[in-house]
Amino acid sequence: MEAKMNVPTNVKMNRKANKDGFLKKPLTVGRVCYLIFAYLVLIFIVVVSVFPILWVILSSFKSNAAILSSPFALPDTFNFDAYISVINQYSFGTYAINSVIISFGATACSLLFFSMAAYVIAKYNFPCKSLIYVLLTLTLLVPGHTKTQPIFSLIMNLNLYDTKTGVWLVYLANGIAMSLFVLKATFMSIPQSLNEAAEIDGASFTRTFWQINLPLAKTGLSTAGILMFLGNWNEYYYAALLTSSASNRTLPVSLAFFNQAFSYDYTRMFAALTMVVLPGIIIYMLAQEQVQASVAATGVKG
Amino acid sequence: MKNIVRILSLVLAAMMLCGMVGTVASAEGVVELTIPHYKAGENVGAVFFLPQVERFNKLYEGKYHITIEELTGDLYAEKMKQLGQQNALPALVEGGETEWIQNVVIPNGLYTDLSGFLADHPDVAALLDETALAYNTTEDNKVFSISLPVIRPMGMYYNGALLDLGDKTAADLSWDEFAEKLGDNKIAFMTGENAWTTALIFSSLIAVEEGGADLLRETYSTKIYDYNQPAILNAVTKLQALLQNYAASNTVGAVYADAANAFESNNAAVIANGSWMVSDFLPDGSVNWSNGFDGSTVRGDVLPGNVALANTAGYGWWVPANVSDAEKEAAMAFIAFMNTPEELETYMLTEGGVCQKLTVSEEYTAKAQENALMYEYVNAVNADTIICPAVCDCMPSSIANTEFGNLLPLLIDGTYTPEQFCQQLTTLAEETRLD
Amino acid sequence: MKRYSRLERRHFPAIYLFLLPTLILFALFYVIPIITVFFTSFTKWNGFNAPQFSFDTIFYNYKKLFSMSSFGKSLQNLGLWSLIAATLHVGIGALVAFILYQKPKGWKFVRGVYMIPNVISAAAWAMIYKFIFNNDFGLLNNAIRLMNPSFNVNWFYQSPAAFWAVTFTWLFYAVIVCMVVLADLMAIPKELHEAAEIDGASSVQRTFLIDLPLCRNSLGTSVIISVTSRIAMYEAIALTTRGGPGNDTANLALILVKAINDYNYGLANATAMLMFIFGIVVMLVINRVFRMNESVY
Repeated sequence: MEAKMNVPTNVKMNRKANKDGFLKKPLTVGRVCYLIFAYLVLIFIVVVSVFPILWVILSSFKSNAAILSSPFALPDTFNFDAYISVINQYSFGTYAINSVIISFGATACSLLFFSMAAYVIAKYNFPCKSLIYVLLTLTLLVPGHTKTQPIFSLIMNLNLYDTKTGVWLVYLANGIAMSLFVLKATFMSIPQSLNEAAEIDGASFTRTFWQINLPLAKTGLSTAGILMFLGNWNEYYYAALLTSSASNRTLPVSLAFFNQAFSYDYTRMFAALTMVVLPGIIIYMLAQEQVQASVAATGVKG
Repeated sequence: MKNIVRILSLVLAAMMLCGMVGTVASAEGVVELTIPHYKAGENVGAVFFLPQVERFNKLYEGKYHITIEELTGDLYAEKMKQLGQQNALPALVEGGETEWIQNVVIPNGLYTDLSGFLADHPDVAALLDETALAYNTTEDNKVFSISLPVIRPMGMYYNGALLDLGDKTAADLSWDEFAEKLGDNKIAFMTGENAWTTALIFSSLIAVEEGGADLLRETYSTKIYDYNQPAILNAVTKLQALLQNYAASNTVGAVYADAANAFESNNAAVIANGSWMVSDFLPDGSVNWSNGFDGSTVRGDVLPGNVALANTAGYGWWVPANVSDAEKEAAMAFIAFMNTPEELETYMLTEGGVCQKLTVSEEYTAKAQENALMYEYVNAVNADTIICPAVCDCMPSSIANTEFGNLLPLLIDGTYTPEQFCQQLTTLAEETRLD
Repeated sequence: MKRYSRLERRHFPAIYLFLLPTLILFALFYVIPIITVFFTSFTKWNGFNAPQFSFDTIFYNYKKLFSMSSFGKSLQNLGLWSLIAATLHVGIGALVAFILYQKPKGWKFVRGVYMIPNVISAAAWAMIYKFIFNNDFGLLNNAIRLMNPSFNVNWFYQSPAAFWAVTFTWLFYAVIVCMVVLADLMAIPKELHEAAEIDGASSVQRTFLIDLPLCRNSLGTSVIISVTSRIAMYEAIALTTRGGPGNDTANLALILVKAINDYNYGLANATAMLMFIFGIVVMLVINRVFRMNESVY
């Protein structure tokens, strides 16, 4: 069905009118069945998502032999020897800072760039619009392995080999297609009437974008931002290829050193993995809380 | 929930603070070389290589200084390829993929001719193995690289507590006789990664076939595309029998860590591997032992049929053409340093191997015997030992790295007969051809 | 021809300025690879020396690709995996999104936790799954053996289990789908629901007649993202079955990387072209089916 309706320019209405009372609705047999089904699905999702990381963390307290022979047994003791030896051997702090700087920097910049692009594509008509959109989304289809040589050569020519800037630059271009999908859809769902009203009020193009559309696109922005951030946070291949000194190393690159041929030590590898993964999860949780709070504060859904 | 998040973020902040590293300022007039290499950090090769670099830096203090940048093994070849493309190779490179060196580095002159270096250093030249030198000499009589004159033939280890060969060694036994002695004992095979331990045993089975050893020696640089030849087919037939009767229970899908674990937990009595594994059986390696395994009972030997696997021909250290003369000089000084008798002896003590043209010092002989297992492993090679390259060095790279291991489960469960297995390998190898 | 109003024309400079950063990134990081891939797919090329081109052998790499022993199986796998991705995978993600949209107790927790698998690197992920699917001591088989003691399947290494083992490493992890759909659902104006409630629509009717059609854009996007990531799927296979046993789990990305390892860049790029074409077809079809170019409201 095609829903056509006139959305009032004041979107802030109804902020309290519809607090979804999920459990407060009268319980019928159908509703109980639905609730059971819904919670079964959610429990399943939680189990398949949490179990692997839990296993990694528990394994980091077990000996190598125990991991290989009885991988699902609980550790006998909790000692942090593996963590201490990993920290002593590698400067994890530096890597963590590098990861944070590069991932945050790249995500923030590309989020701004891509939202600008997505905004004009979603809201305006201009020559070559479809062509540009199609070209940009086609980036999703370029197999990663075919980009290695051109990107390496570009970074060398810009004299950015073994610099954080070089890695940052490469990360900027990550996730173009995915972000455009998400952001374009978000901007399209913001009523066109808002822009028309702004136009009448004489607001500038940038102001319309910055003060009217961007605040309303929060869920889309946070979705795209989180996805890009996690992609950058975990990226290994280019970070390893484009840097060489330890002072420019990121967390995923440091992880690779624990899993080399003929030197296997799962205990320390899992300890290192835990130390790499946990900050990512924490940052994600924090960011999500933050986004949630700001959305709630404006009282605007979407 | 909020409190947990707060505590965790504090931990994160603390982690960041405790890990700052300082940078080392360089003195003036010193030629600084920064060499990315995989023999660093956790790599087994680091145990010898990093102290060696330190010794070099000490000897040439105020003149040369080498800094090693840690790189993972699987990224080394890729990075050298990319840096080579940009004419930005570091001053020293060790080896590289054969295809890359033959098709790119040598034809495009990306290297420095080392024949002058050899003329200046007769002591290094005197130790060089002729086959290695011939392999490294290009058509226009330039010398591409210098490999260390130490060969490290690869054999196997067996658990003396489980398997008793009596007064014999594997050198005296054919594979059939050895298999008989095995009884209920298992062999630590792999099918994951590049199926390394399996490939070594497969190589020894080929080597004892008629013409097999020569086949391996001759195809090192040209690669094998026809796996239907009798030497290989017979070896596959025997390999299938070994895999079906003597494979450790975790063989299918086993990566190196699994194979090593099978051996170090008494679940397999035999594992084929190079001399670097000796350190796993010394008391320091005991964290990985389980199920009553004791490293002191491990014995080193050649492979049954008296086979040891080594590449006498191969690419060693080379100096790229794109670096400055001062850097070349420093790089060559390091190559000369690695080839001094003292360094070679230290190398053999740590990593095993023999240097045929070097008259070793008494001190070395005495020290070498201290590490009984290494001594036994190295000296298992006798005058009759068949020495040839491992088959994985003779296969096109995708066959060696994945396809061989991928087909093994089907050979084990009988889906493929040895004939079908060889035919499949042949088909896949043909598909890798460029023309 | 006057296609654009004066008002629209006035905005052109600003519009192109807004597009500029993204277009620069596109030019820097994608244009050269795309052009290289296209042209060299018609040449013999080892990746270093100049590509060799001749009209007699213009389709050489394509012919070689089509005659490869793992090509047929790769297409079959691609088809089946795409189908599973477009239906089950997207279905699971959308289902979770619809449940979360109702904001049941603990929904924030689930939403946070669902992202965790995406934070773990592919290498670690593959290793974990190899342990879960291990025949001897793996979690899955030991669980099944509680009910059926004689159960004996070596998931990643025997046919046809390997295909499903690989499928299970990604099937349930539809968090991207979930987030994309959830963002779209949250953008549905409240007024619509209120209007529906006044009209006496049940919550089931509301879901199927209002929410589902209104988020067809995000569903389409999800299908495109899911299917194209099946076309590009590499690590989930390379780190587990590596295409085996035999060529049971072969796919195009694996053929591509193998060709690069064998210094056959011409063949690799022909494979890339084919992946590219499949991706375009998927995008066009999904765009049509979900009418994604039309505004929803």
